[in-house]
Amino acid sequence: MLYGSAVGEPRVRVMVVDDHPMWRDAVVRDLTEAGFEVAAAVGEGAQAIRVAAAVRPDVVVLDLHLPDMSGVKVTTGVLAAWPTARVLILSASGEQRDVLDAVKAGAAGYIVKSASRTEFLDAVRGTAAGEAVFSPGLAALVLGEYRRLAASPAPDTPRLTDREAEILRMVGTGLSYKQIADRLVLSHRTVQNHVQNTLNKLHLHNRVELVRYAIEHGMDAQDSYDTGDG
Amino acid sequence: MNIQASLWRSIAVFRLASLVYAAVLVAVDRADYAHLALAWVVLAGMTAWTAVTTAAYAVPARRTRVLLAADLLATAAALGSTALLQYPGSVTAAAMPVTATWVAGPVLAWAVAGGIRAGTVAALVLGACDLTLRHQSLDSVYRSRVLNGTVLLLLAGVVVGYVSTLASRAEQAVQRATEIEAASRERERLARGIHDSVLQVLALVQRRGAEVGGEAAEIGRLAGEQEAALRTLIAASAAGGLAAGEQDLRTLLTAQTSASVSVVTPADPVLLAGETAREVAAAVHAALDNVRQHAGQTARAWVLVEDEGPTVTVTIRDDGAGIAPGRLARAAADGRLGVSQAIQGRMRDLGGSAAITSEPGAGTQVQLTLPHPVAR
Repeated sequence: MLYGSAVGEPRVRVMVVDDHPMWRDAVVRDLTEAGFEVAAAVGEGAQAIRVAAAVRPDVVVLDLHLPDMSGVKVTTGVLAAWPTARVLILSASGEQRDVLDAVKAGAAGYIVKSASRTEFLDAVRGTAAGEAVFSPGLAALVLGEYRRLAASPAPDTPRLTDREAEILRMVGTGLSYKQIADRLVLSHRTVQNHVQNTLNKLHLHNRVELVRYAIEHGMDAQDSYDTGDG
Repeated sequence: MNIQASLWRSIAVFRLASLVYAAVLVAVDRADYAHLALAWVVLAGMTAWTAVTTAAYAVPARRTRVLLAADLLATAAALGSTALLQYPGSVTAAAMPVTATWVAGPVLAWAVAGGIRAGTVAALVLGACDLTLRHQSLDSVYRSRVLNGTVLLLLAGVVVGYVSTLASRAEQAVQRATEIEAASRERERLARGIHDSVLQVLALVQRRGAEVGGEAAEIGRLAGEQEAALRTLIAASAAGGLAAGEQDLRTLLTAQTSASVSVVTPADPVLLAGETAREVAAAVHAALDNVRQHAGQTARAWVLVEDEGPTVTVTIRDDGAGIAPGRLARAAADGRLGVSQAIQGRMRDLGGSAAITSEPGAGTQVQLTLPHPVAR
């Protein structure tokens, strides 16, 4: 069954990471029925990083709540193992700090587990197409993070433009990109770019911070997350 | 670390050192003694008693009232024996009694065991013995150096008693903190367990129910509501470390999550005075009630919480029928003020404001703004 993908066009390869077997099976079934190629489904973080390097997925659907590793470490590890992967967080709504940290570490989007199947599949398609998948929850987290950065005395912290803040507020109150585009008389694409930009700035800032931290602590950047034999 | 045990050890050390001092004094001031040999016998008795008390006080179960009383009596007897040992002239001339500073041992023991009051009693008893020994009349006592000894005993009894009380309170506080920490670790463990199993299954039932539709959709909706409620419960019990009277607005608002209402917040706590937070939560509740009553059966609502430093903003938006232009103003003019008035009044009382915007077909948005009283 290849709905949603033309013959001859390569299918989107998805890897599912969730430690709860029922959820993992449900997500895999939904993805397969919708025509995605599920390249792997694993239940642990370390395993996810190893497998990601081997199967080279386009999208990684990641539950942040894993038994062996924090969500941030898995996100960082997967992206280091296979940098073109795009990480979509599928997680419970109560893990805000983890979600924010994973997004800063490079995750491309976030959708809550209580979202409907259609919303979930749209999110996977959007992520594969390079969009930032923003749930209202993520918008609130990102707004809060920029607010926190603005209050910090450090120089060159990223700021939101007025337009970006306005759009994030609309996403936070449940408006879709299309509704936002209509209200602000912008193109759908422009709205998406603004949202994507807010994430890009956070990713960039996060990398700069990591490098700064590494330099201040007298080690090279590789050591900062690979504490092995460096 | 056990503070009481180290206090008892210090007393044992004090007794031993005092004993040596007393022996040296007897050897040096032997001219004061009528019966020097007997004085050495008394010192031998004091040595034996020091050994007995050191061994006995080391074990908490043996620190009984009987032992404490015996300690006081034995020490008073040793002090009193000075009257037999020294020349009467030396005694009244305030020569050091045979016990010297060793006399303070039971005062310290009483103070550690029973606090200020017991320490004072022991000091007064031994002080009275000392004064009786010197045959001082009450009117000459005030000018006598002999009183110094009693005052010092009293001081030792009060200070050590106070320290001992403080120490046992501190120990109780540490004990309580340890218990609370253990309890919260247990809660966290439970929360993790519930998260791993129950919440995941409830979320899954909600999702599948919605897909299957019909009666299953109703079951899914119920599962979703229970998931939200349970998650709020876990979050509330895990939240600790708030200053007295402060409340995290996120906790109060997240509790209003349901199948049709999603509440989204920043990752950091939004701290408000408890009463203020409850008022804001009540205003949000009123706005959501309004959505349920007027926006239509299928309307969904979103609550966005923003902490902007100087202000806290809560935006409630629904995708329902909306309100026709002028209807709010007309309602106010007709004296039917209702919900919007209640919300605006509440916010004004808190020094904030509420703005209500709506268009037919495009839902209603209520924005609550509140000055942030907690300095960042």
